[in-house]
Amino acid sequence: MSTHTYKKFENAGSGDLPDRMTIYQDCMSEFNESPVNPKRCRLLISRLLRLLAEGETFPENEATALFFSISKLFQHPNDSLRQSVYLAIKALSSISEDVLMATSSIMKDVQNGSDLVKPNAIRALTTVLDESTAFSAERLLKSAVVNKHPSISSAALTSSYHLLPIAEATAKRFVNETQEAVMDLKPFPHRNVVGDYYPNSTFITQYHALGLLYQLKKSDKMALLKLIRQFSDNNTLKSQLAKVGLVKLVSELVTRDAQLFSSFQPLLNNWLSNKYESVQLETAKLITNFAIQHPHLVSAELHASAVTTLQSLLTVPRVSARFAALRILNRVSMVSPEKIVVCNPELESLINDPNRNISTYAITTLLKTGTESNISSLISTITKFIHEVSDDFKIIIVDAIRTLSINFPQEWMAILNFLIDVLKNGEGGLKFKNNIVEALIDMVSFVPQAKDLALENLCDFIEDCEFNEILVRILHLLGKEGPSTATPSLYVRHIYNRVVLENSIIRSAAVVALSKFALTKNDPTLGESIVSLLRRIANDQDDEVRDRATIALKFIESAKKEENPEAREFVQSRYSYDLPSLESKLSSYISSNADSFQTPFDVTNIRKYTEDEAKAIELKKKQEQLLKGHLENGSESTPGLEEGSKGEKRDSSYAGPSLDEHQEDLRSTKYAEELLSMEQIKEFGPLVNSSRTIDLTDPEAEFVVRGVKHLFNNHAVLQFNITNTLTDIALDNVTVTCTPENPSESSLEELFSLSIDRLSPSQEAACYVAYNKSEEIVMEGFLNNLTFTTRELDPETQQPLDDTEGFQDEFDIDSIFLNAGDYIKSSFVGDFTNAFDELPNEEVAVYNIKENITLQELVDRLVVNTSCLPLESTQYAPSDSSSHTVKLFGKSALKGEKIALVVKLIKTSKGIAMKAQGRSEDATLCSYLVNGLM
Amino acid sequence: MGNFFSSMFDRLWGVNKELRILILGLDGAGKTTILYRLQIGEVVTTKPTIGFNVETLSYKNLKLNVWDLGGQTSIRPYWRCYYADTAAVIFVVDSTDKDRMATAAKELHLMLQEEELQDSALLVFANKQDQPGALTASEVSKELNLVELKDRSWSIVASSAVKGEGITEGLDWLIDVVKEEQL
Ligand SMILES: Nc1nc2c(ncn2[C@@H]2O[C@H](COP(=O)(O)OP(=O)(O)O)[C@@H](O)[C@H]2O)c(=O)[nH]1
Ligand SMILES: [Mg+2]
Repeated sequence: MSTHTYKKFENAGSGDLPDRMTIYQDCMSEFNESPVNPKRCRLLISRLLRLLAEGETFPENEATALFFSISKLFQHPNDSLRQSVYLAIKALSSISEDVLMATSSIMKDVQNGSDLVKPNAIRALTTVLDESTAFSAERLLKSAVVNKHPSISSAALTSSYHLLPIAEATAKRFVNETQEAVMDLKPFPHRNVVGDYYPNSTFITQYHALGLLYQLKKSDKMALLKLIRQFSDNNTLKSQLAKVGLVKLVSELVTRDAQLFSSFQPLLNNWLSNKYESVQLETAKLITNFAIQHPHLVSAELHASAVTTLQSLLTVPRVSARFAALRILNRVSMVSPEKIVVCNPELESLINDPNRNISTYAITTLLKTGTESNISSLISTITKFIHEVSDDFKIIIVDAIRTLSINFPQEWMAILNFLIDVLKNGEGGLKFKNNIVEALIDMVSFVPQAKDLALENLCDFIEDCEFNEILVRILHLLGKEGPSTATPSLYVRHIYNRVVLENSIIRSAAVVALSKFALTKNDPTLGESIVSLLRRIANDQDDEVRDRATIALKFIESAKKEENPEAREFVQSRYSYDLPSLESKLSSYISSNADSFQTPFDVTNIRKYTEDEAKAIELKKKQEQLLKGHLENGSESTPGLEEGSKGEKRDSSYAGPSLDEHQEDLRSTKYAEELLSMEQIKEFGPLVNSSRTIDLTDPEAEFVVRGVKHLFNNHAVLQFNITNTLTDIALDNVTVTCTPENPSESSLEELFSLSIDRLSPSQEAACYVAYNKSEEIVMEGFLNNLTFTTRELDPETQQPLDDTEGFQDEFDIDSIFLNAGDYIKSSFVGDFTNAFDELPNEEVAVYNIKENITLQELVDRLVVNTSCLPLESTQYAPSDSSSHTVKLFGKSALKGEKIALVVKLIKTSKGIAMKAQGRSEDATLCSYLVNGLM
Repeated sequence: MGNFFSSMFDRLWGVNKELRILILGLDGAGKTTILYRLQIGEVVTTKPTIGFNVETLSYKNLKLNVWDLGGQTSIRPYWRCYYADTAAVIFVVDSTDKDRMATAAKELHLMLQEEELQDSALLVFANKQDQPGALTASEVSKELNLVELKDRSWSIVASSAVKGEGITEGLDWLIDVVKEEQL
């Protein structure tokens, strides 16, 4: 060992990492020394640990050698050395082999060691045990769990928790001891070591014991209910964290079974006034989150009490409590802002909170609870405030304002002025500016009144903008939106300025934007000026700019002369491609390279969207992001629930799909590709429309089935995606049989059905049933039945056991309905009322809904059933009002006829009365849709 | 005389010098029982040793560092990790376990071939003599083929760990040999 290196890292403040090889060699020689020098060994171990903590690691053979040499230190009885040895064992056990060699020595310490090393020994023990050795530690761990010393008991409890995945059967036998550990109060720290650090003693073992007990009983609902009764009744729980744990347990149970909620209401009400702020917060969080999922199961009084509790927490001295309360209120504000309007005075005073996290959150919450009457005054408050905060907060505020622009289109003037002000006067980096520009682009796309003013200001902005990325986006936007405005030449001037003044990246973007004005109808003279501008640019010094100008000129020429529709498409395209599917097709085209790219890339099978469809998709995404962002945060407190079931819970409140939009997009792209790659189905021609994925079974069923309806011009295909959730059973010959509800009247004729040969455990695959269909709108319900042969698998090989024949079984799944909504695509229109008034063919229907559902649930259902896009923020039904009007817009997937719906809802004691008024270019579609809403 | 001897030993080796002794043998032979019989003079209840136990004990003014390594098949390959600096090996045999004498013999000879153990003395305990049907020390010696051992001090002692018979006799012999050899 070189003394030089020794010196270097002995200097504690130096921050230099010791060298890995030096440490290794020093350890190997020092630890094998006899007799052991405990002080030097401890020093070396601490260096080794520091190295590991910094992310350095050792190859398996070196780690194992280290582990064995460290195990030799068991010969020395020094407690401090022993503690370091345990830390090293824990750190090395995951990267070295044969760690079981330390087992007996550790167990001896667990049994006979001093109180100081026992907790360390217990924690190290689980890292060396495996399933076969765990049982020999059973008795030791059990007695440590009930040890009177809090540190020993806690160590045993947490270690048993970690033992569960290793040796579940052993750990499961600790129930009685764990139960005892919850009941037994052990003040921590032990023996009154109360000082500044521990102003009060806690009973932390209760928390650890409760956590373990939950793990041991979590699959037994009755046992958990009993547990809650037992520990909430009297004053058993003294630990604050344990109490919070109990609240979380209730949350978990009501998430699993919503009907339990009512029985917990008195208890929850009680907890809202618990002496601990954390218990109050957790309870309020539970109630408000649950209310979002199941509004009608939470009494109005309880919800109000939860809000009152949160409201009073907004003024407590502790920053963390204020922040937590605000965060929960912020979530409520996204779905039911009216329920927390009472907190507005407190929220307003928090705008000046010295903690910027809190002030920013207060503002974004206020922006959501804001009503049309106070939005503009709120915006003026923020205008004063925003220049004083850091970029991060500015971005949050701008994003909040951005959602406002979609929710309160009528406030566009105030919002637009705010955005323009921060864009022009605000100091800030790329991300901040980019977010402002995004917000303005949203306004251009979705708030027609604001379009001209927003575009003009963006033009001003690019005159003096330092960010290439932003400039390019704005130029693209001008090219897209400019030609259809009243004064296209205005934009041409701004764009051409860029060509004169900017770098080649921006010049290239400007060329493309310019060329889009060449075919403008409003202003025919413009075409000629564009051509002459482009000619001039065709001499640019940069290749890319020249190339783009030249090719644009060619397109424009041929588009003009021959009325060539393809060239026209290139200049100003009316469609945009579905990007995920375009991307995946392109990359498979490039990687396959079958004939050195002799065959051109085929775009015909890629979905195309017209502008209104693309906007509808984008707006829907934004609408759901709002809700999703909220709900995801809401369910984070539920322990032990899998991702999948989380999704399903969300499903029940918003009857959309279980995955988020983006994944739904990818999934539907994948489904369509799979479908269209099958020979039999290729013959059906282009895919006209696909529905979203519909759950046809309980999401927790053994076989989870989801359906998708696909429409072609003369065919319909039902797709059933089946997931086998069993671990040891495969399914052979999986088939879905669909029977029309009225077989005699059905106008659909079954062509063929494709089954799955084998569905292995935890696999997903699809069955298809295909029908012949006339070109008209055909509606039908199908009763579905899943049949299969089960085959038991050998757990070792995952192959079917030879001696078992398997037996036939069947499984009922929900019906699937082909309805009018399946013939409709969402579509965006800027001015709904005008569009509605202009459409012919009115149809009116009245419904009386007896089912006990909220207005919001009904709205969600309408959105899904009609496939239309909710406009003017009407997808939110205010929960404090008994009436609501939904405005929906879409168009026929077959021929593109527009359809608009106005649905008025009134909630009474008897149910919900619904009046739907539809107008469309297609009378039949309109009548089918309006009369088939429920 | 004894005093003179040990004080001279101390001077030569330094008072802190410890003697490293390994206890090896098949599982269930009585190794752990012997270790604790030596350390606390009592019979403890044992469980199969997963890994090893190590204890430091004083014996006749000497510090012994005694390692009892588990004897299960899965653990035997790791014995060699503990061979370095070993002064002596105690090999324990369950004298009633006639079926596994051959296995014991094989493991013993395999171990003695190791380079690091060339200078270690060997003491064999023919343990569990209190049991009816136990082989005698000379019978065990024959089964283990001890006569074949060359260039090594070795001895076999009949013992009963539970009754405490033979253990100290065996250890006395071992200490004497080690002292002599180290001198
Ligand atoms: N009758 C008898 N039993 C013994 C003797 N020595 C050990 N045992 C028992 O043999 C079993 C195994 O002993 P143990 O020391 O754990 O063996 P190890 O695997 O070699 O460590 C235990 O039940 C001991 O009580 C002995 O001399 N006589
Ligand atoms: Mg043993």
